[in-house]
Amino acid sequence: MRNLLNFLLRYSSWFLFAFYVVVSCGLLFNRNPYQHHVYMTSAGAIAGGLHDISSNITGYFSLRDINDDLQRQTAELQAEVLTLREQVRRYREDELQDSLRQVDSIGRFDFIIATVINNSISRPYNYVTINKGRLDGIRPEMGVMDQNGVVGVVNVVSDHYARIISLLNPNFRLSCKLRGSDTFGSLVWDGNDPTSAILEELPKHTIFHEGDTIVTSGFSAVFPEGLPVGIISGTARGADDNFFTLKIKLLTDLTALSTVKIISNTDLDEIRSVENDATSKSDN
Amino acid sequence: MTKEILKYLLLFIVLVVAQVVVFNHLCLFNVAVPLVFIYFIIKLPVTLSVNWAMTFSFILGLMVDIFSNTQGMNALACTVLAVMRLPLLRLYFPREEDMTNPEPSLHTLGPAAYTKYLLTMVAFYCAIFFLIESFTFYNWGLMVLRIVSSTLLTFIIILSFDSLTAKSR
Repeated sequence: MRNLLNFLLRYSSWFLFAFYVVVSCGLLFNRNPYQHHVYMTSAGAIAGGLHDISSNITGYFSLRDINDDLQRQTAELQAEVLTLREQVRRYREDELQDSLRQVDSIGRFDFIIATVINNSISRPYNYVTINKGRLDGIRPEMGVMDQNGVVGVVNVVSDHYARIISLLNPNFRLSCKLRGSDTFGSLVWDGNDPTSAILEELPKHTIFHEGDTIVTSGFSAVFPEGLPVGIISGTARGADDNFFTLKIKLLTDLTALSTVKIISNTDLDEIRSVENDATSKSDN
Repeated sequence: MTKEILKYLLLFIVLVVAQVVVFNHLCLFNVAVPLVFIYFIIKLPVTLSVNWAMTFSFILGLMVDIFSNTQGMNALACTVLAVMRLPLLRLYFPREEDMTNPEPSLHTLGPAAYTKYLLTMVAFYCAIFFLIESFTFYNWGLMVLRIVSSTLLTFIIILSFDSLTAKSR
């Protein structure tokens, strides 16, 4: 026994070496990747965590470029969708009115891409500041959206900057409707949670379900019809009013805005002047 | 003593993280990969028993393996390197008793001996590692190129790091 122990001790290095070699070869020749234990791969919690941290850091290096690309792409697609939607609507109108032809331009909406340089979400009246202004073609009362949905409406414009009334501002009421129906209500922020808002004045006969999407109604000429705004997450008030009041989960993450698109409606001035004419005439 | 252990522990962590986060992604001309984490094995004190050196090296290799999805390759190569460490050192520096500090460095071994020791260790490691990695010699020209270029790159990085730390003392 003593001899055996001595033997083991004297050659312990060899045994240890053999042991380590066997273990590492066992790992090495385990050719089936599905049998690899999760802790032995970079998918494990610690290894994955480290890679997550490193990609969290390195991911920012090219983020700006990627983001710009994506925004440009989305802007193009969005413009295309809106153009197509306009086209469809035009064909519908043609179909209805048979002989009447519209000669105005199809693409009424244009996009200007801007970067958010200041954003508040915690105050009762919140505003967003962007790095584009009058010289870039931005005018007050233009709609602003990001890749997910509506952000707000331009309200103050300087030469190079513009301030936007954020959705998280009780001064901003957005005319919205249920996707797939034409009943509309008015979206307003209730001042509590930056991820949700209230849809008021929805007619009582409306049929809706939780999870239905709320889109812009297109009545205001600021936003084109059908931009996603939020998802119904519940009713907010008792059912004894004449209107429904719904809680809406906003699709836009206003807490993390980076790049936004300003919607410039090329017919806005015309629509405005028509409306103003009408009101001044009715005043007289 | 505790200070030494802490120093080596810190070196271990820093090297693994640096290798995994930075150096694994450096692939010069698609052939040269710096394998700088073996600096830990190179720096282990000569008075440390082979068993411990092997254990530490194995764990080091295993860590790098886990993070870089190379099952057991680095663990195996590190174990072999740990065994070869003292014989290689004695090749250039036969009088271990003369060392004032058991940690091999430019200062304790002298520039000539240390550089030779470092280059041999790095070359040895790269050779084992890329041999294990390719296993079959289906493209042994590329493998030799990878061994030589990776050896040079690793050697340069480690030596410059050593020169920097040596000057600050």
